[in-house]
Amino acid sequence: MPVESTLSSDGKTITIGISGRFDFEIVQEFRAAYGDKKDVSFIIDMRATEHMDSSALGMLLNMRKSLGDNAKIAIINCRPQIKKILTISRFDKKFDIE
Amino acid sequence: MRILVVDDTEANRKLLAWMLEDDGHEVVEAINGKEAVELFKTSKPDLVLMDVMMPVMDGFEATKAIKEYLGGTHVPIIFLTALSDDASLTKCLSIGGDDFLSKPINEQVLQAKIKAHSRIKDLNEQLNRQNKELTRLHQFTLREHEIAQNVFESALAASILDSKNTRHYISPAATFNGDLLLVSISPSGGLYALMADFTGHGLPAAIGALPVSQAFLDAAQQGASVSSIARELNRTLEKFLPDDMFAAAAIAELNAEGTRLTLWLGGMPDALHTDSQGKLKQQIPSNHMPLGILEDDEFEREANIVEVSHGDRLYLYTDGIPESLNATGEMYGEARMLSHFDGSSSDPLTSLIESVNQFTGNKDQNDDITLLELSCKPVETSVIGDASVLNLELALPWTLRMQLGAEELKKPTSPVAQLVDMIGSAPGIESHKDYLHTILAELYSNALEHGILGLSSELKKTEDGYLEYYQQREEKLRQLENGMLDITVTFRVEGRKGFLSLQLDDSGCGFDAKHRNHSSDEDSFGRGIDLIETLCDKVSYSEGGTRVEAEYTIQT
Repeated sequence: MPVESTLSSDGKTITIGISGRFDFEIVQEFRAAYGDKKDVSFIIDMRATEHMDSSALGMLLNMRKSLGDNAKIAIINCRPQIKKILTISRFDKKFDIE
Repeated sequence: MRILVVDDTEANRKLLAWMLEDDGHEVVEAINGKEAVELFKTSKPDLVLMDVMMPVMDGFEATKAIKEYLGGTHVPIIFLTALSDDASLTKCLSIGGDDFLSKPINEQVLQAKIKAHSRIKDLNEQLNRQNKELTRLHQFTLREHEIAQNVFESALAASILDSKNTRHYISPAATFNGDLLLVSISPSGGLYALMADFTGHGLPAAIGALPVSQAFLDAAQQGASVSSIARELNRTLEKFLPDDMFAAAAIAELNAEGTRLTLWLGGMPDALHTDSQGKLKQQIPSNHMPLGILEDDEFEREANIVEVSHGDRLYLYTDGIPESLNATGEMYGEARMLSHFDGSSSDPLTSLIESVNQFTGNKDQNDDITLLELSCKPVETSVIGDASVLNLELALPWTLRMQLGAEELKKPTSPVAQLVDMIGSAPGIESHKDYLHTILAELYSNALEHGILGLSSELKKTEDGYLEYYQQREEKLRQLENGMLDITVTFRVEGRKGFLSLQLDDSGCGFDAKHRNHSSDEDSFGRGIDLIETLCDKVSYSEGGTRVEAEYTIQT
């Protein structure tokens, strides 16, 4: 599964892990992973993400729009090249990038 | 049996031969010592009956010569003697004879002695055979150990034990270590550590280390989570090891910033978390069973997450430390060990090891000992080797071209991945693959989606439209009848720099490049071009927007 989401034992955090390529191929699955969930914070775990492109950036922004500016969304474990893409696109303004 | 009878008196020989052949033995006769020695070598008898007084060479001389010839193997020599003084009989035995018989020969005594010596000879041969076999096996084992050690050393060589975040102490009890310690960098810049203690020690324990280290290093390279690594290692051990063998293990991951530790501990002594002065903050107990016991479906993969401050340290160790024995059989124990973590020593690793060694004195170590110190600070990774660095003086220019018509564009094969693999295999470009992938993916998407398929980014303004956009992309691609996408990649060297030029021509209608809008922070589209412009030094459009050229610089 390229997109795998797990709920923490206290039910307060959803971790969405993305493996391989993060691009439009997984647009449906990614959207389903956050869907209409409320009152939880999200962690997007990119430890296994090898590549991402601008369609993935769009998907992340859609997630932010859908959940609202107050929702807590952290992006963790980015590889250097992924981090650079997020930085170039100034995503640190909208997401907690570790 | 074949028996050599040595006597200078023919009557004696014939009498003996008659008695022996009657009992089913084969007889070879010699008339003096000299002939006896020669016949012994050619007829290889199982036993010798030797007269003492003979012309040419007497029985003593012949016996010495035969025993010398035999070396280590045993063929009994029984003296036949008319002499009865103690001195002569003693001489018979002291020069190498095995027994003596008094003349005249008593047939019953002769038979009994032959039987007894035949038994001794059999035992002796058996012993010799076993000795030879043992020597052979021993040499075989030594050779096998050498080979195995070689394999181990090469298998574990990939691990970077000397990272700036870790210090360690390893002391195996035997040639092979049943403890395993591996440290590996994660793709996200963090650090993984694995400490495993297999049941037993020596070669059997070390055997499990091979599949485990391979599985760990593979998982680390893929950037797997600690709990996935634990599960993978458990699966590996369950598959490879017999039921009574398993491994206590600690798997730790430090994130790149050095602020968070993720731990999976199974069957290990408590991990110790200290402050920067080596003073204990907390003991973290193992909450899982060792690896290799539970079936995959009952395996518990939950990991502990510990938020740490910079300067904090984590100590992992195998039970060889608290269970070290001194000469009187007393254990080192946990209390002695913890005393090094009360803040009195700023370097518990060194003081603990010194103390354990002092405690055990000269006594042989009873178990493998492994100790790891992990410092919580931003992970420093030193890139080793410069194989990936481009040697511009030797680099050759090249061009790579891929032309894709409608049929090819429909295939699910990613031309981007394929091109990047090809480009990346050129000398010196490997380390730039990830950025090239991003650049090429953006250029390709733009040319295909906006050029050939004529899709508009306007759609992407809403979340539903975003989905709609990609549904349309799929639909239009499926219906595509005509179209051409031409990708050319050229590499050239100018001065001290290498340049990769990417040119894409599409058969679409083009666009007005001069009036392209830059995206705002809010827009979920239009970021691709910004990305390309940041990563490349030059991006230009021509041919009415149907051609894009981007140039990527490779500096040494």
